[in-house]
Amino acid sequence: MATAQLPINSQRQAKSPFEFTTAAHLLRVCRQRANNLGELLDALRIVSDDSIFQHTFRTLQEHHFIPQGFSNDFAHWAFAACNEVSLAESLASLDVREYTSLTSLRERIVKILEEYIQHNPRSKDRLALEPFFFCASETVVIPTSCSARNLEEFIDGIEKVSLHSIHYHFIEARLRLKLTSNDFSVWLERELDLADLAEQLNRIDIYTSTLQEVRQQIARTLRSAQ
Amino acid sequence: MAERQNGKTPVLTSDETNVSAPVNGRSPAELIERRRRPRISTTPPAPPPPPKIDDYVPIIGQAYVDELRYLAQKLRGKTVKMVNSTSVGGGVAEILSRLIPLMDDLEVQTKWEVITGGNDFFEVTKAFHNALQGGTYNLTQEARETFLAYNEQNRRRMHFDEEFVVIHDPQPAGLIPSKANSHAKWIWRCHIDLSNPNPDVWGFLRPMIEQYDASIFSSPAFSRQLQIPQYLFYPCIDALSDKNKLLEESVIAKVCDDFGIDRKRPIVTQVSRFDRLKDPVGVIQAYKLAKRYVDCQLVLAGGGATDDPEGAAVLKEVMEAAGDDPDIIILNLPPWSALEINALQQVSTIVMQKSLREGFGLTVAEALWKRKPVIASAVGGIPIQVIHKLTGVLVHSVEGAAYQIRYLLTHPEFAERLGRHGHEHVKENFLMTANVRRWLLLFQILLGSAQMLKPTEP
Repeated sequence: MATAQLPINSQRQAKSPFEFTTAAHLLRVCRQRANNLGELLDALRIVSDDSIFQHTFRTLQEHHFIPQGFSNDFAHWAFAACNEVSLAESLASLDVREYTSLTSLRERIVKILEEYIQHNPRSKDRLALEPFFFCASETVVIPTSCSARNLEEFIDGIEKVSLHSIHYHFIEARLRLKLTSNDFSVWLERELDLADLAEQLNRIDIYTSTLQEVRQQIARTLRSAQ
Repeated sequence: MAERQNGKTPVLTSDETNVSAPVNGRSPAELIERRRRPRISTTPPAPPPPPKIDDYVPIIGQAYVDELRYLAQKLRGKTVKMVNSTSVGGGVAEILSRLIPLMDDLEVQTKWEVITGGNDFFEVTKAFHNALQGGTYNLTQEARETFLAYNEQNRRRMHFDEEFVVIHDPQPAGLIPSKANSHAKWIWRCHIDLSNPNPDVWGFLRPMIEQYDASIFSSPAFSRQLQIPQYLFYPCIDALSDKNKLLEESVIAKVCDDFGIDRKRPIVTQVSRFDRLKDPVGVIQAYKLAKRYVDCQLVLAGGGATDDPEGAAVLKEVMEAAGDDPDIIILNLPPWSALEINALQQVSTIVMQKSLREGFGLTVAEALWKRKPVIASAVGGIPIQVIHKLTGVLVHSVEGAAYQIRYLLTHPEFAERLGRHGHEHVKENFLMTANVRRWLLLFQILLGSAQMLKPTEP
């Protein structure tokens, strides 16, 4: 679409361009493993932040093509290996977007497990069908050739970059920003003065859509502002 | 096929399940004869040229290929040596034959060397292989000495001037003393399941393994507690290989014609060598239970029955279990049947992998890549590939498998969704390009040249 057709804010040129970046992850197998809920709880208290990140934020990326039933590895294991349906529901209801630190996310998971075990003490030592193996993610940052100085270039970048890049900027970003926001919204508001649009992006539901659908929704939302 | 009455699926009579109409231009009698005597290729085809990294752009996208190029650029000029024990046959050789041209195309020069040994060495390493996967074994001093002597012989012959040395599986693990005289980072890539190893054999190998800089396993469940970092590399398939590339309709039609397969009726397929651990008789039992309610043909395609006495015995058991059912098509294929296997998987309505025990089970990834609904046992590495009811269905019994055949054949929209998710799962995690990416990342991490990021770092 020609720039001339855009409203004032969408034609604005950013002082600092948006540099699209992506991240590649390598999985490391950790020492901790759990054969029951009690062992899971013990391990959750001591595993590295990289491991909490892997089993929550990263697993969303690994299974980005499934729009339902796969919110984090702990919920999946509680359901599939332990047959603890209500615990699985509680864990699955965790929305990583509400957490700007892995410490607070870990605390919440531990609290859910502690309360469940307190109310269901016999579940604590019941052997799971298969162990939970803790893994951790080693993350390497990769620049891309895409950058944007205005809304049109920004939409173009959103449509071109890999889904890994979308995950990096839109989902993982809040841990870096320490804000319940994302790189896209922060840049739109700061550089193009598009606060409403930034807020609209932040309301896109990542749990009921595939990551490809999230990308399409972002692009559609941005285009609607043109 | 009998029609539905009162909303219920009728039980079919044996006459109704048999071939009753002309198929592929053949009379029913001709078709049954073709099934009894399928046309099987007797000569291996010429190997296709290795693909280039840009050939994968239509599959994984330009952005993903650009990421690979960026990661490789940081390793330009570095050299890698991969060492294993065989240049042909087996999954490791198959993966290396596809991986190395891609690494070279990315200008990360990668050399592949194969260790040599006498029959006595390979008898010991085969016994080690089985013992490490849970088999009983009496480790003798003679076996230890044979293992070490051949490794030492190879070590003296080989040079390790590269930046990275990757040793695949236990056979060449004893080359590690050369690390002391090389500047390379040494990596041990374990392709087998070490979850329940024979303690004597593992106790013998472990001190060698712990001298490496890093180890790689195919599943967390296959790993051991080690003093060195353990990374996770899923086994992978190549989307452009003869076994997985998209085939032209004429190729699929010819394969179906050669094997007497009726494409108008549902086709349930299991591809695996004739081995009791793949439970081919259990697959026939499940098919027979399901067939009381739904019409289908069963294709059991595999190899290993020509040069392996045990495989021949299993094939005989399978033929006996099949009896005179003309809808069970048993194919004992030669090792060069990648295109035929590919066509069978592509034409199938459902693919099964009802193994009793399994390594990673890459035939599952092959079927998922072809968007097939997969019914598979929850053993070995299969649950990593088949997430129950999301990318396939997991079963634990003949009866469970039979029910899932019935369910998937009568719920095609659910089957289609499983296949679609399964394809994406393979694309994200089990393709050769994902493996190339893992190698590039690992090399960078070991060199300390990667721009690492903690998730919480600004």
